[in-house]
Amino acid sequence: MAHKDRLDALLKCKRLDMVPLYHFMFGFCATNVGYPVASMYNDPQKSFMAQLWTFEQYGIDGGPDYGYASYGGWEFGGEIKFPSSEWQQAPSHGNFVVNSEEDLAKLRLPDVEKAGMLPLAMEFSKLQDKFGKPISIVLGGVFTIAGNICPVEILCRWMIKKPEAAHRLLWLATQHILEVIHHWVNIFGAERVMPNIWEPLAANSMISPKLFQQFVLPYVKEASEKILAMGIKHIYYHICGEQNLNLPYWAQVPMGDPGLVSFGHQVDISTAINYFGDRCIIVGNVDPGVIQSGTPQQVYELCKRCIDKGKRAPRGFMLMSGCEIPPMAPPCNVYMMRKAVDDFGSYD
Amino acid sequence: MASEQRANEVLKGLCDGVVAFDEETVGKFSKAAVEEGVDAYDAITKGLAHGMGKVGELYAAHEYFVPELLLCADALYVGLDILRPHLKRSDSGKSARRIVLGVAEGDVHDIGKNLVKIMFDAAAWEVYDLGKDVPLGSFVEEQQRTNADVVGVSALMATSMLAMPEVTRMIKTRNPNVVVMLGGAPLTREIARSYGADGYADNAGEAVREAVRLVEVIK
Repeated sequence: MAHKDRLDALLKCKRLDMVPLYHFMFGFCATNVGYPVASMYNDPQKSFMAQLWTFEQYGIDGGPDYGYASYGGWEFGGEIKFPSSEWQQAPSHGNFVVNSEEDLAKLRLPDVEKAGMLPLAMEFSKLQDKFGKPISIVLGGVFTIAGNICPVEILCRWMIKKPEAAHRLLWLATQHILEVIHHWVNIFGAERVMPNIWEPLAANSMISPKLFQQFVLPYVKEASEKILAMGIKHIYYHICGEQNLNLPYWAQVPMGDPGLVSFGHQVDISTAINYFGDRCIIVGNVDPGVIQSGTPQQVYELCKRCIDKGKRAPRGFMLMSGCEIPPMAPPCNVYMMRKAVDDFGSYD
Repeated sequence: MASEQRANEVLKGLCDGVVAFDEETVGKFSKAAVEEGVDAYDAITKGLAHGMGKVGELYAAHEYFVPELLLCADALYVGLDILRPHLKRSDSGKSARRIVLGVAEGDVHDIGKNLVKIMFDAAAWEVYDLGKDVPLGSFVEEQQRTNADVVGVSALMATSMLAMPEVTRMIKTRNPNVVVMLGGAPLTREIARSYGADGYADNAGEAVREAVRLVEVIK
């Protein structure tokens, strides 16, 4: 099967020839083709072509996509810094736009045609359209956007001491997600748009499942329900990091038919299937630390274990790294992901 | 001078106030300690720090998470601000341990480092916090300036983590007796060891115990 046919078949719940290999690599693609890592985020043309060529080279299904985890701060009026040194792999915060309740009172929803990275994301999506690729829009989840608008320490304190302020911020993040996706649907049509929502900050290394239930779940559900009501078929959620205690709540979130859900390496694929397998494609979750620092044999073994656990998931499975593959990962370790799929991913 | 019973009440009030992240209670008992003659050093170590020790246990047991830990720290600092000016000069010398902390160059994710700072503050270490995205040479310079026993470097990003072998080598070249500790989500004890570090901590509470142990072994 061609890569595109394989993904189409997966989304339509048709029989596949083999487990798809999905992508989560940005800086690695830049390094691969000799571009600065920043170009993946501030130059849509270079970002698109670097991913396209790298995915062809490694036989990766899906993509290219444009986005980063620090989404939200810049769009609401804060500052973002693009990677500029050898030790940086993604955009990071400069100044935050909200540092107090007074700042929050002044905060307004941004213009989704002009704010922050959204014009770059639109330019990228027009390339996706031109090349016949899936139209994605990568956004932070509600809590991640909120924690990028103001320092996450402030958001954490507000949840307990000033819950109305936390709710206000999360409501604004939710409305923003809906406005952005509505804009993409207007341009490309609901049938073609697949929102790609990353939620690293709501991990249990940060907040308790109780706070997740109180402050995150209601807004994620609202966003998902309204996105699906726009006519969108599939939502991709990246449940990043250590979120085992949140899984019972994530399982209540509608993600489409099927939805797509990827996990950090901290979540066992069998556990993921138990919670989501009946209605979502399971994606993941090779430890990127091993891809960066391990041997090719270790990566190959890890991929085999993931494939063995995920391959028979009821709605399908794609092999992917549990989070972004670092720019300086050894190319052979990325090849080992392809090799493991070729050796163990066949459905024949 | 407070009676032993009253002093114990004050110490318990400080400890419980920190655990309950109750700034008002901590402020009230800190002032009571000063006014009623409870030794400030005892109030800090047996009251506030004891409370933060319990907070660390709750955090390790996944009963407290980052929001609760931050609020406990706010209460801790309310008490420290009141009590520290009343430490006797001889007490100040008791906490001779010093640590330089910072997030590796290229990385702006500092919440983990901030939690570690809180736990070292609570354990009465002198903490020199370099902040985030710290140029590697600054760790070496600050250690030399402060004569710190320990340098702690954290990273959340796998790419920034790659700076750690270099900064460890730079620190150790200049002063082999300094304890270098590494931490952060992408690290493991094995990776820290392979980078040449003396120690690694999985969480903020463990970092203090590890640092105390390593200082005794290495120095």
